[in-house]
Amino acid sequence: MVKVVKTRVEFEGRFRDEYTVVEGEPLEGWSPKSGLKIVGRPHPRVDGAAKVTGSAKYTHDVYLPGMVYGKFLRSPYAHAKITHIDASEAEGLPGVLGVYTYKNAATLGFGGAEKVFKQEVTYQGDVVALVLAQDESVAEDALELIRVEYEPLRPLVDPEEIMGLDSSKDRIVGPKLYERGDLEKGFAEADVIVEESFKTQAALHNCMETHGSVAHWEGDNLVVHTSTQSVFNVRSALSEELGIPQSKIRVVSEFMGGGFGSKFGAGEYTVVAAAAARLLGRPVRIVLDRVEENLATGNRSQTVQWVKIGAKRDGRITAIHLKGLVNVGEDGWVADLGGPAKMMYHCPNVKVELYGVKTNLVSSTAFRAPGYVEGDFALESAVDELARRLNMDPLELRLLNYATRDPVTNSEYSSKALREAYLKGAELIGWRSEPRVVRDGAKIRAKGVAGAIWWGGGGPPAYAEVKVNADGGVTVLTATQDIGTGTRTALAQIAAEELGLPFSSVRVVLGDTITELRSPGSGGSQTLASMGPAVRAAAHDAKNQLLEIASQVYDVAKERLTIREGSIFRSDGSVLCSVGELLGNLGDFSVTGRGAREPNQEGYMVNTFAAQFAEVEVDTETGTLRVLRLVSVHDSGMVVNPLTFTSQVEGGVIMGMGYALWEGRLVDGESGVVINPNLNDYLVARCSDVGEITPTYVEPEDPHTNSLGVKGIGEPPIIGVAPAIANALREAIGVRLRELPFTPERVYSAIKGINPRPTTAKYL
Amino acid sequence: METFILVFKVLGFGDLCLYPASFEYYAPASLDEAIDLLNKHREEARVLAGGHSLIPMMKLRVLRPAYVIDLNRVKGLKYIEEKGGEIRIGALTTYYDVITSDIVKRRVPILAECASVVADPQVRNWGTIGGSLSHCDPSGDMGSSILALRAKMVAKGSSGERVIESDDWFVGSFQSALKTGEILREIVIPTPKPGSGGAYLKLERKAGDYAIAAVGVQVTLDGSGSCTYAGIGLTAVGPTNLRAKKAEQALVGRKVDDRVIEEAARAATEDCRPTDDPLRGSAEYKRAMVGVLTKRALNKALADAKRSR
Repeated sequence: MVKVVKTRVEFEGRFRDEYTVVEGEPLEGWSPKSGLKIVGRPHPRVDGAAKVTGSAKYTHDVYLPGMVYGKFLRSPYAHAKITHIDASEAEGLPGVLGVYTYKNAATLGFGGAEKVFKQEVTYQGDVVALVLAQDESVAEDALELIRVEYEPLRPLVDPEEIMGLDSSKDRIVGPKLYERGDLEKGFAEADVIVEESFKTQAALHNCMETHGSVAHWEGDNLVVHTSTQSVFNVRSALSEELGIPQSKIRVVSEFMGGGFGSKFGAGEYTVVAAAAARLLGRPVRIVLDRVEENLATGNRSQTVQWVKIGAKRDGRITAIHLKGLVNVGEDGWVADLGGPAKMMYHCPNVKVELYGVKTNLVSSTAFRAPGYVEGDFALESAVDELARRLNMDPLELRLLNYATRDPVTNSEYSSKALREAYLKGAELIGWRSEPRVVRDGAKIRAKGVAGAIWWGGGGPPAYAEVKVNADGGVTVLTATQDIGTGTRTALAQIAAEELGLPFSSVRVVLGDTITELRSPGSGGSQTLASMGPAVRAAAHDAKNQLLEIASQVYDVAKERLTIREGSIFRSDGSVLCSVGELLGNLGDFSVTGRGAREPNQEGYMVNTFAAQFAEVEVDTETGTLRVLRLVSVHDSGMVVNPLTFTSQVEGGVIMGMGYALWEGRLVDGESGVVINPNLNDYLVARCSDVGEITPTYVEPEDPHTNSLGVKGIGEPPIIGVAPAIANALREAIGVRLRELPFTPERVYSAIKGINPRPTTAKYL
Repeated sequence: METFILVFKVLGFGDLCLYPASFEYYAPASLDEAIDLLNKHREEARVLAGGHSLIPMMKLRVLRPAYVIDLNRVKGLKYIEEKGGEIRIGALTTYYDVITSDIVKRRVPILAECASVVADPQVRNWGTIGGSLSHCDPSGDMGSSILALRAKMVAKGSSGERVIESDDWFVGSFQSALKTGEILREIVIPTPKPGSGGAYLKLERKAGDYAIAAVGVQVTLDGSGSCTYAGIGLTAVGPTNLRAKKAEQALVGRKVDDRVIEEAARAATEDCRPTDDPLRGSAEYKRAMVGVLTKRALNKALADAKRSR
C-alpha cells in the first residue's frame, strides 16, 4: 500500500518540505538497549581488503579500450581577458584529437559551454582550453603549444579590502541576517562584555582521489563513472546539459576517494567528458591533477569575524553578536558561520550579520561542516575569553549556559547528551584531576575545551531494496554512495540484524543510478540516518515475505516463526528449515523487500553534538605546537559500528588539527595567484604529525529521530578541534591567537609580542 | 620555498604540469660510460640517482633534459667504509644506508641524525647522498652536515678525478662545483677525533617538510674541555647551505660554557642569510631560529663529545 507523506527535511541546517512515498508500517525503534547482535558491534569494513589490495575500482581506475584523455589549459592569471588564442600548433601535434577554446567550444555540443570556456577568465585555474589526446603526456605537450595572449586585469582577492572600496559594492552579498530577542537590552544587562575579532583561512579539500569522470556511450545511452557524493545530482546535470533523458544516463560511483562537500554534482570535467565522448565516439577520461584540484574545485571559505558576548557576573550569557565576512570566491555561497552563535547556548538575545564577498578566486564550496567550523572557532574562542574575564572554569561556563531546548525554534531536541559528553571528556583528559598547565624547560603543556553542534538527522526520500537469494545470500540495493565513511558496512549490519541472517551473507550494491532507488547525496552527515532506516524497512519487508512463505510451505502460523542466524525457528526453539532450503525448494526463488525512509517526526530538532578537549605542547623558543592528545566525545545517537565511528572521528579530528596548525591557501594579494596549490607547499597532516586521539561517545536513546535512533558522525568531529586547540594554546602561553592557522612563526611572534611585518602573501 | 621560487621563475605563473616533457633514457653500466654520455650531451643531459629531486622537477617541467643518464646500474657506487682516518661514502649510498650504517652511527652520528630527518621514508629509501649534494638545494639537509664535517667531494670526469673541499662545493642555489661532464663519485669525511660529538636539528612546519631552518654541529673537545674543532652548517637560511664561520670561531680554543654557547648561537644568527618566505616564515624569524637551533645543537653535540672522551 503506497502512501504519500509531506515531511520537513533538513540539510546542513537548511530546511525544505519534501513529499515522500512510504510503504509498510512504522517499525519499532532500535536503541542501545534493544539487545541487537550485529548493529552496535565493531565490524571491520566489508570492502577493507578490496581497498587495501587495490582491487576496489575507483573512478581513477577506470581505463576503457580506445579511451581518450582530456586535459584543461587553465588561466595563470586571477583576472584577465584573452586577447589572442591560437591552438593550431597544438591541433597539429600527433596524437591530439581536438582542441577547444571559447571560440569553438559550442561544437562540443553541451548547454553550458560558454560558461566553461570564457574569453574573460576570473580566477587562477579558470578554464581556457581543452585538449583531447591519445594519452596524458601528449595532452600536456599540446597544452604548451596553445598560444594565448592575456590582457591582465586587476584581481580583487581580499574581502576586507573590497569592503572598503566604493567601486566594488556589487561584489558584496547580503547581509544575511538573523536576530532574536533584543540585542541592546542584552548587552545593557551584561556585567562583562568581551569583544574579539578572528580570521580563518581558506582550506582546500584535498580528497585523496581528485575530481574526475570517465564517460562512454553505448549506442545512445551514456555511462559515466565519476567520483561523486551524489550520482543522482550528476545524472540530472548531465541530462540538462546534454539534452537527453535521465533514463538514458547511468552514473556509477562504486568506490570513492573522498568528497568532503566538494563533489556534490557534475563538474565541467564530467559534462565535457560526456560531450567529447559523444563527439569522438570513444570513451573520454578527464581526471584533475593535484594542482587543478587545488585551484579549481572550491574550498572552505576564508572568513573575518567579530564576536561580542555579554554576560552577568554569575556567568549567564545575555547577548551574542556575530558579524562575519565570507570570501565566497567567484560565485560561491555564504556558509552559515552563525550556526554555533545561534544554537550553542541558551541566550535570549542574539544577532548574526553575514556578508558574502565575491573575489577573483575559485567559488568556495561546501567543506565538512561548512560555516560551523569557522564559526565555532570564533565563538568558542570568545567564550573561553569570557570565562577568563569572569574568572570561571571554561567548562563550567559552558555547562551553565547549556541549551536544553533549541534556542532558535524553542523546540525540544530529539535527544541531547552534550552535558554527558562534556563530563565524560573532562574525565578522560583529566580536566579536574590533572594540572591545566605544566612547564618543562622551554616547553609548556596545557589543555583546552570546545563544544560543537551540527545537524545530521537525515530524512526522506531514500529508498532501498533487499533481496534474499535462493541460497540465503542477501543483496542490499541502494543508489547511495560510500564516500569512504563505511556506509557499505553499516548498511550490511542493519540488513543482517533485521533479517536475522549472518552479516557475512550480505552484499551491498550502491553508487549506481541504474537501480533507480532514489538516495540523497552523501553529505550533511545524513547518509546513515537517511539510508539506514530505508534498508531496515526493506529488510523487514523481505523478512515478512520469508516468514509468509515458510508459513505456507510448512503450514505453520507465521506468528510462531522467527529468523535467527540464517534459519527459521519455530516458537519452541526448534529449527524449521534454513532460509536457503526454503527458497531453494521454491525453484531458486528470490525475495525482494522494498523499503523507504519514514518521514521525520514533527516538532523535534535533530542535532548532533560534541565535546572536544585538546592537550597541546608549545615550544616557547620556536613557536612549534604539537597536539599531544585530543579527546572527542560525541552524541550522534546510537552508534551502528564503533570501528567506522572511530575512523570518522579520527579523520575529522586530524582534518581539524590540519586546519588549526598547517592548512591554509596562501594567495598573493597583488596578483591573486595561489602560492601553495600542491601538497609540497600546502600541508595536510600525516600520521607522524598526530598525537593521541580518543574518539568516544555517549549514546542517548533517541526515539524521535528514525527507526534506528541514529544521527550522523561525518562532520561533527572536525568542528570543535581548532577552538579546543586555540584555547589550550591560550592557556599555555597566556596570549590569544585569533588567526588560523597557528604557524610556528605566528605562535612565536605571539609569545614574544612581535607584530609580524605585513606581506603580500595572505591566507585568503 | 627555493624550489617554489624556481618553479615560479621558470614557468611564470602556475603553468604546472604532471608529466615530463619527452626525453631519451640511458642506463650505462659503468661510470666511464656515464661520463662519456654526459660529455656527449653536455647541458642537455641530466644524471639520475635516486630521482627524488630530478623527477619532480621534470614532472613540473622546470627541467626538460633531452637525455636522462640513470646511474643505478653502475656498480661500486654504494658503500660506506672507514680506513686511514677517513670515512668514504659512495655517491649512490641512500639516506637509509647512512641511517643504518654502524660506521656512521659510531663515528659521525650527525650524518645519521641528518639523514633521518630528510623528507619521508620513501625518499629516504631512494634518495642518495650524492644526488642530494649534486642537486645543491639550499634547503637540502645533507649539505650542512657535510660542511660541519668539512668533507671532501671526489668528482670524476673524462680527464680523471679531482677533490673538491666542502667549502668550495656549494657554488649557488642548485649549483654545485661540478663541471659539465663530471659526476660526484665519493664523499670523504675525515674521521673525527676522540672527544667529538655532533647533532643535526631541523625545525620544520611538520614532519617531512623542508626545513624552516636547520643546523648541523660537529665539535671536538680536548682533555681539558677546550674546543679544538667546531664545524657548523646551516640549512635553508641562505642561497646555499652555509658554514657558520663566526659561530665556529666563537668556540674554537675556548672552554665551552653556557656563555660561550650563547655567544656562538648569536654569531650564527649573523652568519645566516635568510629571506622572507610566505610558507615558512620571515627572515627575522628564521634568523632567530638559527640562534635557538644552534644553541640546542651545541648542547647536544657537546654532551656527546664529553661522553666520548
